[in-house]
Amino acid sequence: MSDIFPKRTNKLPGLVIAGALLVGTSVTAGVWYYFTPKYTRVGYQPKQPVAFSHAIHADQLGMDCRYCHNGVEKSWYSNIPSAGTCMNCHNQVLKDDPKLALVRESAATGKAIPWVQIHKTPDYVYFNHSVHVTRGVSCVKCHGEINKMDEVRHAKPLSMGFCLDCHRNPESQIRDPKDVYNLSLEINPEVQEKMGKQFVHDWKVNSSQNCSACHR
Amino acid sequence: MKTIPPLCPEPETGPKYWRSLEQLADTPEFRAWAEREFPAGASELKDGATRRDFVKIMSASFLLAGLGAFGTGCRRPEEKIYPFSKLPEGYTHGVAQYFATSMPNRGSAIPLVVKSHEGRPTKIEGNAQHPDSNGATDTFAQASILNLYDPDRAQRFTRGGNTVARETALDFLAQSAGKFAENNGQGLRFLAERSSSPSRARLQAMLRQKYSQCQWAVYEPVTFDHHREASTLAFNQSVTPYYKLDQANVIVSLDFDFAGGEEDSTRLIRGWAAKRKIAKPTDSMNRLYAVETLMTLTGANADHRLRVAPSQVLAVAARLGAEIETLTGGSPGNKLVELGTAVKQHEKWITECAKDLVANKGKCLVVAGHRQPLAAHVIAHKINVALGNLGSTVLFHQAPKAYEISIAELAQDLKDGKVETLVILGGNPAYNAPADLDWAKLQGGAKSVIRLGYFEDETFQATKRANDWHLQQAHYLESWGDARTSDGTVVPVQPLIEPLFGGVTEIEVLARLAGLDTIKPHDIVRATFRTLSTADDFEASWKQFLHDGFLANSAHKSIAVNFNAEAANKAIEDTATAPAATKDKLEIIFHRDYSVDDGRYNNNGWLQELPDPISKMVWENVISISPQTAQDLNLVIKDNEDMNLQVPWVKIDLNGRSVEGPVWLSPGQADNTLGMALGYGRKETGRIGRNSGFDAYRLRTVAAPNFASGAKLNPPARTYQLSCTQNHWSMEGRPIIREANLQEYRDNPNFAKGMNMPEPPSNQPLYPNPLDELRKKPNVMHQWGMSIDLGSCVGCSACMVACQSENNIPIVGKEQVYRNREMHWIRIDRYFTGEKTDPQMINQPMMCLHCESAPCESVCPVNATVHDEEGLNVMVYNRCVGTRYCSNNCPYKVRRFNFFDYNRRPLDQLAGPFYPTPLTHTTDGKLDLLRWFKDPDRGNKPTDEWDLLKLVKNPEVTVRMRGVMEKCTYCVQRIEGAKITQKVKAGASGEVRLTETAHTIPKTACQQACPAEAIVFGDVSDPESAVSKLKSQQRNYTVLDFLATKPRTTYLARIRNPNPLMPDFKEFPFSSQEYTAKNGHHPADHGAPAAHPATEAKKGAH
Repeated sequence: MSDIFPKRTNKLPGLVIAGALLVGTSVTAGVWYYFTPKYTRVGYQPKQPVAFSHAIHADQLGMDCRYCHNGVEKSWYSNIPSAGTCMNCHNQVLKDDPKLALVRESAATGKAIPWVQIHKTPDYVYFNHSVHVTRGVSCVKCHGEINKMDEVRHAKPLSMGFCLDCHRNPESQIRDPKDVYNLSLEINPEVQEKMGKQFVHDWKVNSSQNCSACHR
Repeated sequence: MKTIPPLCPEPETGPKYWRSLEQLADTPEFRAWAEREFPAGASELKDGATRRDFVKIMSASFLLAGLGAFGTGCRRPEEKIYPFSKLPEGYTHGVAQYFATSMPNRGSAIPLVVKSHEGRPTKIEGNAQHPDSNGATDTFAQASILNLYDPDRAQRFTRGGNTVARETALDFLAQSAGKFAENNGQGLRFLAERSSSPSRARLQAMLRQKYSQCQWAVYEPVTFDHHREASTLAFNQSVTPYYKLDQANVIVSLDFDFAGGEEDSTRLIRGWAAKRKIAKPTDSMNRLYAVETLMTLTGANADHRLRVAPSQVLAVAARLGAEIETLTGGSPGNKLVELGTAVKQHEKWITECAKDLVANKGKCLVVAGHRQPLAAHVIAHKINVALGNLGSTVLFHQAPKAYEISIAELAQDLKDGKVETLVILGGNPAYNAPADLDWAKLQGGAKSVIRLGYFEDETFQATKRANDWHLQQAHYLESWGDARTSDGTVVPVQPLIEPLFGGVTEIEVLARLAGLDTIKPHDIVRATFRTLSTADDFEASWKQFLHDGFLANSAHKSIAVNFNAEAANKAIEDTATAPAATKDKLEIIFHRDYSVDDGRYNNNGWLQELPDPISKMVWENVISISPQTAQDLNLVIKDNEDMNLQVPWVKIDLNGRSVEGPVWLSPGQADNTLGMALGYGRKETGRIGRNSGFDAYRLRTVAAPNFASGAKLNPPARTYQLSCTQNHWSMEGRPIIREANLQEYRDNPNFAKGMNMPEPPSNQPLYPNPLDELRKKPNVMHQWGMSIDLGSCVGCSACMVACQSENNIPIVGKEQVYRNREMHWIRIDRYFTGEKTDPQMINQPMMCLHCESAPCESVCPVNATVHDEEGLNVMVYNRCVGTRYCSNNCPYKVRRFNFFDYNRRPLDQLAGPFYPTPLTHTTDGKLDLLRWFKDPDRGNKPTDEWDLLKLVKNPEVTVRMRGVMEKCTYCVQRIEGAKITQKVKAGASGEVRLTETAHTIPKTACQQACPAEAIVFGDVSDPESAVSKLKSQQRNYTVLDFLATKPRTTYLARIRNPNPLMPDFKEFPFSSQEYTAKNGHHPADHGAPAAHPATEAKKGAH
């Protein structure tokens, strides 16, 4: 009587177990990583339509962040500058540079430059730039050392845990509002602690950890 | 310590408050219904879909989800940011802008401040700086923003029903102007709506001058012209009355429904409420007598109410006039006495009312409503003159002489073939003109019709002949224009957005037809303003006008008038006594609908879903009838176990015309009358208004536009399903609304607290109070709370629409409301007390009360509803998994669950019966499931709905999806916004507290809209704040106090001010009598809250 099952089926249970383990592990790992705030876009660095360098503008030339992002102290949103803002200088400087062709075209025709969005919070999160920058939270705290970047990169996780780290302990983060846009400022941790405590007391900082602070 | 929940006191001798006749009957069905978590149908899937369908859909969804995970889930889509190429001046992305404008209505306007986000208007508020406004709005103003984004509005110019280019249509107007100039406007007729626009008046005068042969007709299906016509007749000069309710101690309303049925209700409610807010027992308050047919909001708030048939109101007026004449030493004419005999049975009521009026000479007011004949108005004026009220409670303003003809005269011209060109400006005569004119056919009498319309409606259908033109009208938020508010102040109408579909405005059409050089509406308004402004610097004055939203000191001056007794007596002599109505000869009263007005808001979803304040009916109108008459006519209105509102569908015959509709019992309505709301049953309307209600206009004639007698109700042929919010979320007859008569309040100021239940047998609240811990935190500055004054809330429902607009609350459709799934965060509970023939009615706005010890919080398994440190009960949508435990545990039943993705539901599915399955249903030719997969954000909404309706959403509030619980947030976005603004201002300083003195405390949307200022929100930790002061009043009480939930929203008990000499005087309000009957003691017997013995003992032990 011939075998009903060929001999190679003997390996099947082992393969099934190994396969199940493999699938199980990858599912667990996947959920572990992707389903938590750790899955953020740190390191995301898309190619922008115009090769704008923050390193050159903010660091080498020393331009203030607010020259371009002029709504940051008024609005929840830190605006991307209009092409007109670029042309304030670039109608003189590098006025025929081919890299700026898109900017010139936009300024002339009114067609918007399609910048690629990097930093983004979910729709149910209401983050407000103005209240952070006017109360001593520097750009660098969330965006990293953007003044050193040639192409903007997502530097910090911007997950809820990241927000709460600071909201639970504002002393360690806030600085004098006049230093907010000084991204390279190094503050000695001891000084920061002392200064931070003073500011939290004097300015009645209540960095709310209530849900209603961000979710409405 | 284990706490034992207190027993809920059960009614022993029948319910105290009844919200519906079924509840009064206390049927077993009602009990079964009331004891459920959600009302029947709300929490079950009772649709046609079977279990098999469900499994099919689910497996397909899983398959797609799996595919999706491989295809797109692993990476986020690349998103683009498109900045301006040139930034508009003064614009900051993300900062809302506000513009002053106004909403024109019939003879007046509501001054507004409109919020605009990124160039799209999103929220309408009143303009509090206007000299005659407290910043309140009515339901219509709040909801009018939805009309702007209505996907069903007219979007094209047509000729003969075929689309033509905008230029072609405008060229045609210019050509017509040339033609009229040649023949002096021979055969040119205008049919317009009533308007207060100075620019329109100026253009109209120019047209009359240029084209001497043209004629101008004005038609409004619901017209308030009687007020002007009667005063003009009685005072022998063209004047219009201006009532000052805030000056009157005694008000007699003769079918004058100032709380919603008349024009300018916001101003009138404000005036009335000003004298209803009493801070302490010694304060005085006004008294309101209402004579009316239907139960209206005015009647519901009256201290004495007399039910009479509409034709008998004149008799009451006559009798009242005769009494006043006698009491003031004059002699009443024979005619007054004769007219008054019809209401002999109410003799004592009227006599005592007259005495009360005489006792308040110069400080009282008698007003007849717009439905009443001129004679009733003239009698009211006569009384006001006799009592010296002129100049104090009623003023008169000059009214420009109207050079116009009536619609009946225009109809005659059309019949006689005298009309070459008929220009119809707005309105919808084919739907709402008197039925005997048969307008749709009549309009064909004109050789050519040019119609300016907002919708492609019934009149559009009649304007499709080869020479007929249809122009799309711009919304007022897209238009330049002007208007006058009722006090005469000139207000601008300025656009916040370019016309979405290139529509034109009324004044532009007029200017083009007049062949003027100035045809831009902006320039026309400016030119008019030049004639109105007296300032030296015109530019500055114009800018100020647009900035402020009104022209200062432009109000009408009150003028002295002389009563023309002869003309008045003649008007009274000419009237005849109406026969009394019987059950075979019923009287029909046609009334303006609280939701859709005369039909102009028929396609507005917010208003369609707004429950009628009296019947609580949504999405349609009903034939209302008094319980007694229903019994006389053997109408049986029964419910099945689901509180399924199956009512008789009847046919009403009136002088050879008939309509069919559902009947509904209306407690408090006059016997032998039928109430019919106008504005429903449209043949040609959009996706919202389709199939809603019946068309009462089919019974209206030129001779009897307001009420008609001799109607016959035929025995019902079948039953019909209604959707009504009336029976939902009953509170089981506990002392939820507390009220007292003024005298009782004076004797026992603590009566409201006297109704408190014994405290639970523990001094610990049943649920932990998270604030106990949070209060210890430093830097917590505010504690939010709210106070609602039941004494001045009239139930107008403006708050409901304001909340809907502010908080992105979806509409769910008639079928979902029938399943008790409506989404309003704030509802107005309406209770009847006493006998159903002549009950008392009370309103109570009810929303999340933000309990400190919130029962909802302790049952949420995922902490999606928690407290914040400022006392808000916060709902976190992104945490919610939809268990609905919170709603189950909420004693106030104020939580709302998204059973479906209502925001993404196509409008044509609102009517139900249920969602079509996405496996087989197609939209725009594509399978729904595939459409959803490609664009989950938009769901299955057709392109036009999606593109337009997303524009009305408030970007500061999350748009909730299916499976998420939601509820009132105290407008947390406004609170956080105000705090952020203050912190930005503070910068490196500690000036971060919001204070009332600096006006930095935000208003909630409901508070802002409330004309009575009955809702007050603020910081309860500040003893000087308005809300704290209100909460310290003796009238203050907590709903369901014995649960010790410690709500942040408390109520002020209502005080009634009845006249002890009146025959219908009750020493205590019905609710109070019922309280006594049930509890065995009167509230007055308990000066202080009753304390439970156990609590006392424990306190003693400490």
